[in-house]
Order: sequence, then C-alpha cells, then structure tokens
Amino acid sequence: MDFIISKFNYWIYIVLMMIGFYAMISKSNLVKKLVGMNIFQTAIILFFISIGSKKGATIPIIQDSHVDAVNSALYMNPLPHVLMLTAIVVMVSTFGVAVALLIMIYRKYKTLEEDEILQILRNEKWPNTH
Amino acid sequence: MKFFALIAVIVTGLLLIYGTMDMPDWGATDSPPNTHVSPRYIEKSIEETATPNVVTSLLADYRGYDTLGETTVIFTAGIVCILLLRRYR
Repeated sequence: MDFIISKFNYWIYIVLMMIGFYAMISKSNLVKKLVGMNIFQTAIILFFISIGSKKGATIPIIQDSHVDAVNSALYMNPLPHVLMLTAIVVMVSTFGVAVALLIMIYRKYKTLEEDEILQILRNEKWPNTH
Repeated sequence: MKFFALIAVIVTGLLLIYGTMDMPDWGATDSPPNTHVSPRYIEKSIEETATPNVVTSLLADYRGYDTLGETTVIFTAGIVCILLLRRYR
C-alpha cells in the first residue's frame, strides 16, 4: 500500500502520456493527432510538477519576509514550476503554429483526414519527377 | 494498423512503469531534484532579489536567459502564424 501511494503519481502521468501517444500514432485525423500531442505535453508537465512536491511543504511564496533564515523544508521546489511555465509557453506556441499549418492544409486539400490527403497526393501529376 | 499502435503503446507504458521503480517516492524531501540547488534558491531569494514569490524571482532573476529564450519562442511562433495565415492578394 505504501509502495502504491509513493509511485501513484508516476503511473497517472504514464497513463495520460500513453493516451496521448496512442492518439498521436493511431488516429488519421490531423486535429486528433494534435490533441494527442497536447495530452502528451500535459502529462510531462504533471510529471515535473509532481517531482517538485515535498511532504509537509506549501507553495513557494515566502510568507514572513523579515525572517533572516528561511527554512527550505517548508516550501516546495520552485524549479520545476519555473521550467513548466516555460514548457506551457512552448506548448501554446507549437499548438498555434500547428493549427495555422492545419488551416493551410485544409485550404489546399479541403480535408484533414490523413489517408484522403495521401490519396490526393498520389493522384496528382508530378511533371518534374518522371 | 490500430492493433500495432495499441501494442506499441502498451509496451512503452509497461517499460515506463518498470522505470518508475527507481524513481524517488512522491513527496520525498531527500530526492535529487529537492536537494541540490532548490534549497539555495528558497533560502536566498528574499535576500538577493527581495521577492517573496520564489517562482517569480527564479523566472525573472536567476534564470532570465531562459525567459528570454521563451519570449523568443513565442515571438517566432507569432511571426510564423502571421506569415502562414496572411492572405496574399
């Protein structure tokens, strides 16, 4: 029981990550692939945040700022929080660029299904290649 | 095809769960990410940056170059979105 409680957060993020991974590699709709990538990144964020937690600690905002010696055991690890703040920004950026690319793909092919796009690409004439 | 995807996902998940056996316990105060540099940040944050919120002082003072790169990333993403979605006429 103790073992399950001490490793439970990792299993949660692995399950979430595998849901995203399955959506990325098995779905043929490009929007669903993108949503899978977002679930994957969210699982990574959950993993890092859970690494930074300490038992009996609170959020890293120093409450009594006039005390000379701050006890570091009372506050959580602020480093994963900062890194995941950066990761959230990168996640939003990749999501925006990917959605813009999907809009361009839809304007050109009138579909977002991967197999239909491949079918259109195979039926096109390629004068340069042969 | 979806069957092979499911097999790959299950194998990867089992490997990752096997890997968590060596990870530190949840909430452990002596785990590697909680011991080396983060106590130093928490203890000296008030003294060096005069900011009660340690996350803010880390983001803007200790790791300012990281934040600069982050803003570069979001700037590039914005420029790319504008270039992609602009209608040429």
